[in-house]
Amino acid sequence: MFPSPDSKNLLPIIMPQLGESIAEATIVRAAFAVGDRVEADTDLLEVETNKAVMGVTAPCGGLLRELTATIGESYAVGSTLGYLEISDEDAERLGLHDAPPTPVEKPKRKKSSGNDHSGQAGKTVAPTVSGLPVPAHAGGASFLSPRMKARMAELGLHAADLAGVAGSGAGGRVTIDDLERFLQDLERNTISPASSMRVAVADAMRRSWTRPLATVVLPVQLDTLLAHRKRQAVKAGPALYALRALSFALSEMPTTAGRLIGDRVIHPRSIDIGFAVEAEDGVLVPVIRHADQFPLVDLVERYNRLVELARARRLPGSDTGGSIATITNYGVFGLTMATPIPLPEQSLLLGMGAGRITPAWDPEKKAFVPVTEAQFTLSFDHRVLDGGAAGRLLQRVAGLLGSPEEL
Amino acid sequence: MSSITYLEAIRLAQQRALAEDPRVFIYGQDIGGFGGAFKATKNLAKEFPGRVLDSPISEDAMVGLAIGAAIEGMRPIVEMQFADFSTCGFNQIVNQAATLHYRTGTPCPLVLRLPSGGTPGSGPFHSQSMEAIYAHYPGLIVMTPATVEDAYTMLLEAVALDDPVIFCEHKFLYYHLKADKFPAEALPFGKARITLPGRDATVVAYGAMVHEAVAAAGELASDGYEIEVVDLRTVRPIDTDTILASVARTGRLLVVGEAWPWGGVAAEVITRVAAEGFGLLDAPPQRLNAKETPVPYHPALWGTHRPTASSVAHSLRQLLEL
Repeated sequence: MFPSPDSKNLLPIIMPQLGESIAEATIVRAAFAVGDRVEADTDLLEVETNKAVMGVTAPCGGLLRELTATIGESYAVGSTLGYLEISDEDAERLGLHDAPPTPVEKPKRKKSSGNDHSGQAGKTVAPTVSGLPVPAHAGGASFLSPRMKARMAELGLHAADLAGVAGSGAGGRVTIDDLERFLQDLERNTISPASSMRVAVADAMRRSWTRPLATVVLPVQLDTLLAHRKRQAVKAGPALYALRALSFALSEMPTTAGRLIGDRVIHPRSIDIGFAVEAEDGVLVPVIRHADQFPLVDLVERYNRLVELARARRLPGSDTGGSIATITNYGVFGLTMATPIPLPEQSLLLGMGAGRITPAWDPEKKAFVPVTEAQFTLSFDHRVLDGGAAGRLLQRVAGLLGSPEEL
Repeated sequence: MSSITYLEAIRLAQQRALAEDPRVFIYGQDIGGFGGAFKATKNLAKEFPGRVLDSPISEDAMVGLAIGAAIEGMRPIVEMQFADFSTCGFNQIVNQAATLHYRTGTPCPLVLRLPSGGTPGSGPFHSQSMEAIYAHYPGLIVMTPATVEDAYTMLLEAVALDDPVIFCEHKFLYYHLKADKFPAEALPFGKARITLPGRDATVVAYGAMVHEAVAAAGELASDGYEIEVVDLRTVRPIDTDTILASVARTGRLLVVGEAWPWGGVAAEVITRVAAEGFGLLDAPPQRLNAKETPVPYHPALWGTHRPTASSVAHSLRQLLEL
């Protein structure tokens, strides 16, 4: 019995999946006869498995066109038991005339081990950061263990303190044992407590040094400045001359004293310049605020007062901090040259070496003449400015020092 | 008195429980006249008539009956023939026994004895370690005695507790472990034991793995390492304090379990140490478990499937070198 060639919408009646382990079922009873109209969700046939009697249900209404199954026979799950003639809408809805899906190429699977977490092979993902190295054995790479960090925090130690510790762990890692042995070993030396000043300076210098710092040097002739100073009733120290010169130079090129935070240059708000004063076993930095706005003669008394306060360690909080550059006169120690370290929150440190009488070539006289010369150094954060800008700034300071009456 | 085996300790504990408390009875397959598949109830049916009863081969029915008896005021000990088959009664254990007191206020003083762990040739259905599965459920207590003394005292403790106890006795230890006598006192319930004090690394283990860990520690002692071995004794509750104190001493942790790694006891211990004792760790915590396959039957395969003294020693060396 074949379906009539006129019928388009013949929906096969399929033996359904009746239970997880059921492979076939026996037709017990046909609820309808060929030619009957049936409604959706009515049972067309009763089938029996070894567990229960169940129904084969019409998925939609239609005309029972044909029953190919025989009562009392067993048929496999998925086999066709007959045909239902259905409407166009139902045929559309049930996809009766859709082309069968093309078989999907199954990806080759290696023998299942139960451990396969890698997912499907083949599709590669382009990394967003090319060339990012991934440690081959993440567990053993060099690191500061949580215990190390906790112990270092407890003792107020930084990685800088551990520079002298050889690590015995994987990759040269400093283990907690290495640290404890190191600390125990230190006990064999004489130990004295560091003053809070010492610890504060150590911390500031450690933080400052995390930046790339560089220094440029310029010899400056001081004769004009020294002559000017001799004529004054109230005498300013050389450092104060330099401070005023720097303040002018910075007001002309303020970004040289800027700070680089990420990809932004933070401009200074006002030309506040600090100067280093030795106090006990450390350094304090009093500040002249708005140094560009006061002539030299007006600053002398304030400067001297600040030096006194700093030396006595009675410097008020309002007179320290917030400067944009610092002057340091290491010449008072007889040093001709130095590479001091700028404060961690600043990019510039102008240093002055000791003045010495030294021969300089005079092109007019065509002879060497004695001049008083000091090396001026500019130490700077190389992220903020390069040698050229540093050099230009230093040259401008030197030039201004040649016209001390303007300061 | 000749030395007592781990199995004999269990038998003696049951004998004492039966003698001291008329509410106690034992229920299991072949435990009556036959004395049990492993002879854990040998002669007890004779000594205590009507209180050591054979059950049908239905773990579901066995546990269900026991829960019912517990509700009626009895204190049943149910012997599963193998831990692996306890899953046939899983619903009764985790849905009924574990929740009974929470839901009804009625305690469920049930002891479920699970012969656990592998022996050569026992295969996938006679070798499993089920601690992690049951420890997952609030309401259950999970015990894993590793010594003859603990097998005795902890079984008595389990009978005395009003909570359902999963008593994971290790088959491999039945005849291998011997002791001369029982202690007068036992460690308090829920406390782990420092089986071996050490300094360089901590191994946390339970059941038969405690002995593998001790043997591994012996191997490393010849290299100058002092390994501390912690015997959990109970898996639920876990004695986190003792474990953290040990890691505080050593800074390095290896957890060894005979069961599979996924969501196991080792994973639980490491999570607790990482979360609560992060600052104690000088190296990433490590675990060593059975290989991720069903337990093999073939003795040669079985020999490489679970952690052994040498694989524990190997893991320890790697940990110490981190």
